[in-house]
Amino acid sequence: MIDFVNYVINGALIGLLYALIAMGFVVIYRASKVFNFAQGELVVFGGFIVWWLVVSFGLPLYVGLPLAFVIAAAFGLLIERMFFSRLVGESVFAMVMVTIGLLILIRGVVLLLFGPQVRPFPIVFELTPVMLGDIFIPRSLLYGGLVTVATGLGLAWFFDRTRIGLKMTAVAEDHQVALSLGISVRASIPFAWILGAVLSTLGAVIYLSGKSLNFLASDIGLTALPVALLAGLESISGLLLAGIIVGVVQGLAVAYLDPLVGGAVGSILPFVIMLGILFIRPTGMFGWKTIERV
Amino acid sequence: MDPAGVFATSYQRDQALIRTRKQLVALIVFLIALLLVPQVLGPRLVSMGSVMLITAIVVVGLQLNTGYAGQVNLGQAAFMGVGAYVTAVFATKTGLPFWVTIPLGGIAAAVFGFIFGLSAVRIKGFYLALTTIAAQFLFHFLVLNLPMSWVGGSNGMSIEPATFFGKRLADDASIYYLCLVIASIMIFGAYGIARSRHGRAFVAVRDDDVASGMMGIDVVRTKATAFLIGAFYAGIGGGLWAYFVRFVAVDQFTLLNSIWFIAMIIVGGMGSVTGALIGVFVIKIAQEGFTSLGPTIVEKLPFLGGDVVFSVMNVFLGGVIAAFLIFEPRGLMHRWNILKRSYRLWPFPY
Repeated sequence: MIDFVNYVINGALIGLLYALIAMGFVVIYRASKVFNFAQGELVVFGGFIVWWLVVSFGLPLYVGLPLAFVIAAAFGLLIERMFFSRLVGESVFAMVMVTIGLLILIRGVVLLLFGPQVRPFPIVFELTPVMLGDIFIPRSLLYGGLVTVATGLGLAWFFDRTRIGLKMTAVAEDHQVALSLGISVRASIPFAWILGAVLSTLGAVIYLSGKSLNFLASDIGLTALPVALLAGLESISGLLLAGIIVGVVQGLAVAYLDPLVGGAVGSILPFVIMLGILFIRPTGMFGWKTIERV
Repeated sequence: MDPAGVFATSYQRDQALIRTRKQLVALIVFLIALLLVPQVLGPRLVSMGSVMLITAIVVVGLQLNTGYAGQVNLGQAAFMGVGAYVTAVFATKTGLPFWVTIPLGGIAAAVFGFIFGLSAVRIKGFYLALTTIAAQFLFHFLVLNLPMSWVGGSNGMSIEPATFFGKRLADDASIYYLCLVIASIMIFGAYGIARSRHGRAFVAVRDDDVASGMMGIDVVRTKATAFLIGAFYAGIGGGLWAYFVRFVAVDQFTLLNSIWFIAMIIVGGMGSVTGALIGVFVIKIAQEGFTSLGPTIVEKLPFLGGDVVFSVMNVFLGGVIAAFLIFEPRGLMHRWNILKRSYRLWPFPY
C-alpha cells in the first residue's frame, strides 16, 4: 500500500514537471498560434547555458541562474526575429515545418557549441530526498512541483485576466482578426518566444538538477506533448491537472505493467494517451472548442 | 506552359505527360544515362544511386500525401519501416520471391498508414503532424517489444539477396537495376495519379477542404486515400531497402529520417512529382558531400573534432528547411519553371 502511495505521489510530481515543460508549448501557442515542436531543444539549450555559466565558468548559482534566464530570453528573441517575424500570416504547415526545422537546427547548434559529451548539471536542489513517514520524495521534484503550480496559476491569471494577456489571446485566435482589432501581432510573438525560452530553462533546472546532461535530454519535450494535448492547447491552469493525470498513469504503468510485458510501457503510454485524445476529443479537457472539424 | 506553336487539339494531347518531341528525346537520353550508370561509375556511386532511387519512391509517396493532398505526415520513415520489416519477414520465413514480398510490404505499410490516415478524418494541421509522430513512436515500440523470433527486436533482421530466375541480385549493379525498374514504375504511376481524378481531388482538398466538399468530393475518403497511397509508396521503398541493405533494423527508420524526407519535398517543391525527384537528388548529394568531405576537413582542422560532421549536418538540414519555407516556399521546382518559361519565350519578353 505504501508503495502505491509512493508511486502516485512521485508520478504526480513528475507529471507536474511535464506540465512545466508543456507550459512552454502552451505559452508560445497562446500568444502566437505557433505550435513549437522544438520545445525539448529549448530545454536542452537552457540546460547547457546553465551548465556553461555555473560549472564551466564557475559562477555562483544566484548569479548564474538569473544570467541563464536572461540569455535564454535573448535566444528566444533571436529565434523569433530570425524565423517567425518573417512568417506572420503564413500557413500552419509552414509554421509547423519551421519549428521542426528548428528542432534539428538547435540540436546541431548545441552539438557544435557544447559537444555530445555528458556533462554534470549543477545541484540546484539538495539531493537528499524529503521523507514523510515512509513516503519518499526527491527534493527537486517537490520544489519543482511547487514552482510549477505557482508559475501555472500566475500565467493563467496573466493570460485570462490582464489586458496584455487578453490581447495575446486574441493573436492566438486569429492573426488577421487581431490585426484588424488594432492588436500588434509583431509585439505579441516575441514576448511568446521569450517566455517560452525562459520557461524551458526553468524546466531544465528542475528536471536536470544534480543529474547529467547531454543533447538527448530533449526527449522530455516530446514526452510533455501529451500533457499539453490532454489539457487542451490553450489552457494553462488545466496543464497542472493534465500533468498530474499523465504522470500518475505513467508512474503506475511503470510500476505494475512493465514487469508484465517486459518494459517500455511507461515510455509509450503518454503517446497512446495522446492518440486517444486526438481521436476522441482533439480539443483536450479545457481547450477552446474552435477546432475546425472536417 | 507549352512552348510557342504547340497546341493540344484533343483531350488526350492536353493530358499528355510528354508534350513535345524534345521532351521525349530528353527523357530517352535521361533513361539511357540511368541505365549506363553501373557501366560508367564506380560501385560506391552506383550504390548511392540505388539509395537515391529508393528514397525517390518514398519521397514521391510523401509528395502525393503532403504536397498534393496537403496532409502533414511526419511518419513516412515508420511506414517505410513497416514495409521493410514485412518484406524481410516474408522473405526469410516463407522464401517467397521479391516480386511478391515487396508488394506485400507495400500493402502492409498502406494498411498501417491508412489507420493513421483515418485520424485525418477528424483533425488536421499540426494535430495531424502529432498523430504521425505518434506513429513513429508506436512503430519503434512494436518492433522492439514484439517477440524476438518475429521481427528480431533490437538485433534487426538479416535477409537473403533477392533472386530473379536463379540469378542472385547481390552485387551493386543488379540491385541498382532492380531499384531502377521498380522506381520507374512507381514514379510513372505517381504522375498518373497526380493527373487523374484522385490527384485533382487531392489538390482540391489541399486548397480548401470545405469548398471541395461542396463540389461533391468525398473529403474523408480523399484524405484516407492520400495516406493509403503515400504509405504504399513508403512500403515499396522499404521493401527495396530491405533487399538493398539485406539487414533491417529499427534505427534505420527514425523521426529524423521522416524529417529528411519532408525536407526533400520542401527543397524540391511542394505539389510536383518532378520537384520531389529534384529534392531527393539535391539533398542526397549534399548529405553525401558532408559525410565524405567531413573527415577530410576534420583531418585538416583537427581542433574541430570528429562530431562536427553530424552537428553541421543537423544545422544544414534545419537551416535548409527554414530558409526554403521563408524565402522560396515553392522550392527549386518553381525556380526551374521560371527558367523554363524564360527560355521558351526567348527572345520575346512575354
